[in-house]
Amino acid sequence: MTEKKHEGVSRRDFVKGAATGVCAGTFATMGLYSYSSSAKKRLAKITRSMKDFGVLKNVKITNISETSWFNNADLIGDIHEAGGLLVNQYSLNWPPFGNGKGSAQGSYESGIASIKDLIPKDLDKAWGLQEKLSLHPENAGGYACLIEVEELNGKTHKYLLDTGWSYTWTDAAFKREGIDKMLENHEIEALFISHEHWDHFWGFPVTMKYDPTIPVFIQDGFYPEGLQYIKDSGHTGPLTSYKKAVNPFIPGMAVLKFDVPIINRVFGEISLAFNVKDKGLVLVSGCCHQGILKFADLARTELKYENDRFYGIYGGLHISPFEDWDPKYDDLVISLGKWGFEKIGCNHCTGHLTAKKFVEAGYPVIRGTARFRSSSPDYLGNGDKISFGA
Amino acid sequence: MERNEVSYLESRKLVKRWQGPLPALANSLFIAIVFYATWWIFQDPRGIMRMYTPYVGYMVCRWLLILFIWVAYIFDFWPFKKAWLDRTHPLIKGSILVAFSVAAMYLLIKVFFVDILGNFGIAYFNPERLISMGITEFYAIEYAAEAIMMFAAIASWLSPSWVVACENAPWQDLPQPARGITIVTITFFISMIVYFLTMHSHMAILFYPWQKFTAICPPYWEEFANTVSGNFHIAWIMCCTVVVWLFETIWERYPFNLIKTNWLRRVASFFGIIIIAVALAFFLYFCEELAWGPAIRGTRRLMAPDWRWLHVGEMAIFWLCPSLFLTFYCNNWPTKFSRPVNVILRTFLTAIAAVLVYIVYYKTSHLFLGTQKGFSHPQQFPMIPMIWLINLFLVNVWFMDGWPGWKAVPKTTEELEEIKSEIVGSDVKWTPKFAYGLLAGLAGGVAVYFAIINFIPWFSKVYTIIK
Repeated sequence: MTEKKHEGVSRRDFVKGAATGVCAGTFATMGLYSYSSSAKKRLAKITRSMKDFGVLKNVKITNISETSWFNNADLIGDIHEAGGLLVNQYSLNWPPFGNGKGSAQGSYESGIASIKDLIPKDLDKAWGLQEKLSLHPENAGGYACLIEVEELNGKTHKYLLDTGWSYTWTDAAFKREGIDKMLENHEIEALFISHEHWDHFWGFPVTMKYDPTIPVFIQDGFYPEGLQYIKDSGHTGPLTSYKKAVNPFIPGMAVLKFDVPIINRVFGEISLAFNVKDKGLVLVSGCCHQGILKFADLARTELKYENDRFYGIYGGLHISPFEDWDPKYDDLVISLGKWGFEKIGCNHCTGHLTAKKFVEAGYPVIRGTARFRSSSPDYLGNGDKISFGA
Repeated sequence: MERNEVSYLESRKLVKRWQGPLPALANSLFIAIVFYATWWIFQDPRGIMRMYTPYVGYMVCRWLLILFIWVAYIFDFWPFKKAWLDRTHPLIKGSILVAFSVAAMYLLIKVFFVDILGNFGIAYFNPERLISMGITEFYAIEYAAEAIMMFAAIASWLSPSWVVACENAPWQDLPQPARGITIVTITFFISMIVYFLTMHSHMAILFYPWQKFTAICPPYWEEFANTVSGNFHIAWIMCCTVVVWLFETIWERYPFNLIKTNWLRRVASFFGIIIIAVALAFFLYFCEELAWGPAIRGTRRLMAPDWRWLHVGEMAIFWLCPSLFLTFYCNNWPTKFSRPVNVILRTFLTAIAAVLVYIVYYKTSHLFLGTQKGFSHPQQFPMIPMIWLINLFLVNVWFMDGWPGWKAVPKTTEELEEIKSEIVGSDVKWTPKFAYGLLAGLAGGVAVYFAIINFIPWFSKVYTIIK
């Protein structure tokens, strides 16, 4: 009897020890192994798929507008008043979706109701109406650029990346760069909407005014309001919504899609990659919310390109769009040099502060001419051009 | 032992008002209603006050947590009398104590941090000063709130640690408010040192050019953490905050409570919590690498090392919620086995529950909390709703005696005597069998660890949380 009792006690002691040991052993291994070099070796090695998507002769980009807004304090003030960076962009009561009810009281439905009959043909009247109903309509600008691509056989293509925000500002910028005529003549083969944000997408009726049949390319993160806006703006051409990460477009050009959450309830972004003969890869973005290095990393993992080298960047790099800062941006400034870009044509949401830090770090940032309300020559401004390749 | 010799929380016993799971269900429903109502009023970006900017809301919920800890744990409800706490209806008591905490929090943030520190010490604590130097108003408020919040994050680890691990020593015999003032002062002082060692450099490189004359730039952790961001410290500090409460609740202070020598037990507990927390932080970071691949320095969001470190803290908080729920509303179930077995079962159960809460949160939070869809948006802070919920747990159990499902009754003399013996555990003894078990368990623990790290890459391939 006593032996049995003793056996029971011993077994219980063993179980107590084992339970204690399992916890201690698990936590000890967590601490000793998880951040060691041995642990790093366990991580899956990245296999580059090196997809051959062709090669092209050159890419030229005209900056139609990079000034999405003109006053940071007003823009951020409106967002702040509405409740911060998570508030749905269609509720901010910004044009063209103002309803006269004030901050955060807007909606797509109530905003579009006031201008639906006017877009895309009478944009001046529509915007004039919205100027009375919305917050800070004078602050709206927009982002758009013209991309001209020449294939190796000499065939050329023109594409629009994004379509601005303010109807009047975007229309004027289109006229300044001759985009209106190119659209009317159907010279521009496609409109890519990088993402659903106000400053890249809400000027959509301006493109529709000149060519409602143009093929439009978006990604599958668009919200119902955005999809409805495309319809309400009178688009009659084909609409393609990318679902896959890598989408070859023409020889030497691919559309890359990123599932990335973005401020003011926007999801996903597409960017463009070009393989330029004898030079390397050129990356073009609207806002690059995914981050330029994530963009470059996906391209490196998936695509085969000339000399296996990154050649150039154009577009908003979304680092300090409101001239705000965070130590993680310094991580980018410190790391970008390792990627070896030879030509950096940044602007828009890159932020002047970032451009300054890039220059201080010795990176090849192409300076601008500060025309047409671009505020500084720190980077490529409105009306400036950049070319990659022969 | 008399009731007045122990704290109010130790002197009362919470008794279920109804049999079975009804009290837990009733309290869950009550807390869910209060959570959603208060979330809408104070935090939700679509709601009334919209403090989820996110740093303003984050600062408020972190400081509220500290104030609740100070009121209940450090000051033992001083200046409120035990007799008043005993006789006042939980709803009235809860409302008054919350109002008291909110007022104290306002004084601390507005007067101490913004007006005193921000005007006479360090400019970044005062948004007005930042605005006057050209920072956009929104970011000026966010930067100041971030700095004030980080102070709270550190204090929310150190303040309870002093009570739970250090057992209030060496001031445990002081009467209130002397004890409370002393411990708050000392933990505040240590928090300030930790803040300067961990977050001041992060704040200094927020401004252009780097404030090299006032802070170490680039910070010393850059090479080790693969980032200049202070999020590296948020990772392990948040894990410390979580481990303190795991240690106090589901682990019942085991195994450090087996140490009989007072000073050794306290020191071992204090530093043991830090060591476990750092181990947990490294592990959670590794889990992210296993699921999403190695971080790429300089990139954004999911792949960025700074976000990965922040997410370590976020994941840790997901563990704290089910752990507190188990302790508060499930009587720390299971309790029928020996303490080590109970501890390992609770650890396993709460870890599984944490994974489930994590999945449900990321699948659904954007539908009802007004947060951003996705894991890594800079304004996606699961810590805010989680800490908001934890705050409500604490208010319900500490300030409202578990109303409506529970009520407080005074402990009997025998029950009060048990408190003494709970400090030093006597239920586990060192025997040869225990030692064999421990060795076998250690090997088993290593096996468990490697099983988990082999499971994660497979699981992340076959299951997508956010589509």
